[in-house]
Formats: sequence, C-alpha cells, structure tokens
Amino acid sequence: MEAVAAGEKNMLRVVEASRAPAKVIIEGLGKRFKTRKRWVVAIEEVTMTIREGEFLCIVGPSGCGKTTLLRILAGLETATSGKLEVAHRDSAKPLNSMVFQEQSIFPWMTVRNNIAYGLKMRRVDSRIRDEVVERYLKLVGLSKFADAYPHQLSGGMKQRVSVARAFANDPEILCMDEPFAALDEQNKILLQEELLKIWESNRKTVVFITHSIDEALVLGDRIMLMTAHPGRVKAVFNVDLPRPRNIATLRTNPGFHKQFSEIWSSLREEVNKAKADEGICT
Amino acid sequence: MNNESEMLPSVQVADNPEKKSWTEMEDSVRQRFLSFISPVIFLVIWEVLSRTNVLDMRFFPPPSAILVTMYHMIISGELWADLSVSLYRILGGFVLGTIPGLIIGLSMGLFKPVRLLLEPLVAATYPIPKLALMPLFMLILGLGDMQKIVTIATGTFFLVLINTVAGVINLDKIYLDVARNFGASRKDYYLTVALPGALPLIFTGLNLGMGMALLLIVAAEMNGANQGIGYLIWESYDIFDLNKMFVAFIMISLLGYIFNVILNEIERWIVPWKQ
Ligand SMILES: Nc1ncnc2c1ncn2[C@@H]1O[C@H](COP(=O)(O)OP(=O)(O)OP(=O)(O)O)[C@@H](O)[C@H]1O
Ligand SMILES: [Mg+2]
Repeated sequence: MEAVAAGEKNMLRVVEASRAPAKVIIEGLGKRFKTRKRWVVAIEEVTMTIREGEFLCIVGPSGCGKTTLLRILAGLETATSGKLEVAHRDSAKPLNSMVFQEQSIFPWMTVRNNIAYGLKMRRVDSRIRDEVVERYLKLVGLSKFADAYPHQLSGGMKQRVSVARAFANDPEILCMDEPFAALDEQNKILLQEELLKIWESNRKTVVFITHSIDEALVLGDRIMLMTAHPGRVKAVFNVDLPRPRNIATLRTNPGFHKQFSEIWSSLREEVNKAKADEGICT
Repeated sequence: MNNESEMLPSVQVADNPEKKSWTEMEDSVRQRFLSFISPVIFLVIWEVLSRTNVLDMRFFPPPSAILVTMYHMIISGELWADLSVSLYRILGGFVLGTIPGLIIGLSMGLFKPVRLLLEPLVAATYPIPKLALMPLFMLILGLGDMQKIVTIATGTFFLVLINTVAGVINLDKIYLDVARNFGASRKDYYLTVALPGALPLIFTGLNLGMGMALLLIVAAEMNGANQGIGYLIWESYDIFDLNKMFVAFIMISLLGYIFNVILNEIERWIVPWKQ
C-alpha cells in the first residue's frame, strides 16, 4: 500500500508522524442505527490509529458511514461496539470542534456571534475573543459581513462561517465533514491553503472527510478509504507529497497522479458496489 | 400615475445607482398605490349601490352615513368609552393568557417529563370551544370584567402555548449537536438556542392569540355588559341601528390592524434575523 517516498525531507516527516503519540485509537468500532423497520449497520469493525498532529483524510462512497464515524469521534454519537480512546492533553482547550456537513450556523446570530460561539461557551475573556473572531472573520473573507445574519449570506459564505467557528474555537482535534464541498473553486482553494497554513503552524490533529481524492491528496498525510455500506476500513494510503504543499503546483507532481489513480481504482470498486446495493434496495 | 408608469420600462443603465433606486422607489409607490386603491374602489361602489337602492339601505347604509354616525359618536365620547372598556378587557385577557402560555409552553418544550405530563391535558381541553366555557366563567366570576378577561385569556393561552411548544421541539436537531459540540451547558442551550430558535413560532402564536381575543370580545360582551365594542354591536342590533353596528365593525378591524402592526414591530425588533 505504501507508495514510494517523493523526497528525503518527506521521508523524514512520515517517520516523524508515525512516531508521534497516538491521539485517537479506534478499535473494532461499529455502529448500528435502529430504524422503524430494521437495524441499519452504518459502520463495522473500524480500526485505526490517528497520530498527534496528523492530517487524516477519509474518503468513501456516499452513505458508507463517514459522517457516522466522525460523529462518534466527536462524542455526538455512541458506538454500539468496539472501543474509542481519545487523548485530551490540554484541558484549557476543547477536545474537538466540528464543521458539519449540513447547514449548521445559527440563523438567529450574526456572523460574528456565530464564529464566537465556542469561545463564548468556554467563557473566554471578551477581549481575546473579539481579537480571535476578528482574525478568523478576515481569514474567511467575511469581515464586511460581520454583523449580517445568515439569511443575508450565500450558501458558500455560510459554510465559511461554519469553518471559522470551528477554527476560532482552537480545539485539539478539528473534525471537518466535507467542509469545502459547497464552495466555489476559488474559495475552496483559498480555504485549503489557509487550512494548510494554519495546520502547518499549529499541527493540530485534523480528521477531514471529503469525496474528492484530489482534495485528500492535496491536504492529507494519510488517506483512509472506506468500503461501501456498511463502512469498514478498506485501505490506508500514505500521501508522499512534499510539504509545505503548494496547491497550485502540486498537481504537476508525478507522484500526485500515480497516487490518484491508485486510490481511484480502489475507490471505484466501492462506488460501484454502493450503486449495485442501491439497485437491490429500490 | 399614467405618466409615471410609462417611465418605468425606460432603459436602466446598470452603472447608475441613482437611477436604479429611482425605479425601486417608483415600484414601491406603485405597489402601495395598488393596495390602497382596492378598498377605495370598494367603498365607492358600495356608496353608489346603497344610494341607488340596489343594496338595501337598511342593511348596508352608505359609507358616508356611517362616517357621519362615527363622527357624532366620537364627539359625544360614546365611541371612546366603548373602545376603552373593550381595550382593557382585550389587553387584560391577552396578557393573562400569554404569560402562562409562554411559561408552560417553554417548560413543555424544554423538559420532556413536563411535556409528557401535560400533553394529554392540553390535547383534551384545547378542542373545547372557548365560547362553551363562557357560561361556566359567568357562574364562577359573575358578569363583570373578570369573566370576559378570563374568556379571552383562555383562548389566547392555548394558541400561545401550542405554538411555543412547537417552536421549541421542532427546532432542527443539528443546532443541538452544534451546542453540544461547542461545549454549551444546558442553560446555555436554552438561552442561546432553544429560546431564540422558538421565537418566530412564538410570535405566530401571539398573532393568532390576538386574533382570537378580538373574536372573543364580541361574544363576551354579548351578555352582562353595558359598554364595549361587542356590546355596541348587540345594542345596535336591538335598536336596529345599523350605522352604529358598522362603526363597531370598523373599530374592531382597526384594532386588529393596530395590534398587528404593533406585534410585527416588536417582532422585527426581537427577531431581526427573520426576513
Ligand atoms: N440517525 C440515523 N438513523 C438511521 N440511519 C442512519 C442515521 N444516520 C446515518 N444513518 C445511516 O447510516 C449510513 C451511513 O450514513 P453517513 O451519514 O455516516 O454516511 P456518509 O458516509 O457520511 O455519506 P455522505 O458521503 O453521503 O455524507 C447510511 O446508510 C445512513 O442511512
Ligand atoms: Mg456524510
């Protein structure tokens, strides 16, 4: 599974990452949902270790349980089997903050208050809070809309508020569920760049769900590929592209295409299975 | 007006904001004109039909005659006397119904045990027409103001209660997830999510409650009243003075309109995020 390293510096990083202490240990995790008619197995036997400071991307066909896994990790859902251990090292910081897949910013708060929500709930000093919020407003390009209400924003702008809200909360683990899927190409690239910049400066643990292999390669240290419903871990790929990454030129790297086709051929099988399943269901 | 509307389709240059705001203004003038003109036309037709005896003048007195009657009633102070008495009963009943409606509604929405406890009770009592309760209230409270206030309060209470509960429990579950994920305590959740999230429906409840109050005042003043807008209607029925009856209709419509404007204004202030 491991691809050939692209450069020496990069080799070093991979080794470093795998030596870093474990942040999240997932062992044989499973989740079943009870619906009116029957039980739905969302994920099954998921085993994975996420290292401190690692940028992990999760890809898999739609409905395979990516969101379910992330919600369990974030404590919003309880697993029905298996074990989950998360190391919370700095009690001054929240353990995780989520960028939800669906529209999730509060319609009754201004953009500013939405971004400040986590800090407010943690009773962070208002002067520090204002500073942080101002910084992230700027970062997601919404300074001018600081006092607007969500109904005055476009869909992409709302998603950026959601991203800023999670960043501003400064958690140990950032849980991002297809955060850029609804964005236009320009904003997507800008925010990917910002995310990388932030991550490179503070080395948070990031768990990032995406349906785009491209995005996963651009951002991640490792890519976890999940099987079609019910979701299991199909494969884990090391992304051997040099850091710091330049999103604009990365795609010209020959390693990029090699990894892309490797992951895609594996993912395609699952997508086809998912499609076949749908055919049976309906 | 004709001239103005002919100017509207004229070519608008995109980079001329002044000109653009001009059309927007004209548009709003035109819209207001349209909503203003329909009642005027209606009144004019009524006046003509009534004066030419196409409409029976005894049942549909011409608007001009109604206005004259209204003028006399204002001068004599009669109208204000009736209006103030009714206003007192309506507002008293509205407040008396709204406050417990809000409190019980919020606790039912926020605390599931409370909801389970009270839901059957509400479901069982809500369908009873409030008018059916009036005789009971009259027996208990006598024929004074209190009986009328309580009748109105009952009607308002249920509408505010039911809408408040719906406002809290129909909130999208994602907001609960966000609150939990960002470390909100229970109290934080109530104050930053549940309450503001329920406000739009709470205001719907208040608006409906106000409509119910106007409906009930007429019925409540049917018996045991010697003043009030509702009383005015029944009195003019007894003495067959339809002019007065129509003045009372106008007053009720006016009250409804004013209450609506006030509630909307308050809503705009408290719920600024609603388009
Ligand atoms: N609350 C729930 N109740 C019942 N079934 C659920 C629930 N949440 C998820 N599921 C089911 O679990 C499976 C996985 O859902 P999940 O949302 O995790 O998929 P996903 O990988 O995030 O998909 P997508 O890429 O489309 O977002 C689906 O079959 C879904 O129907
Ligand atoms: Mg999902």
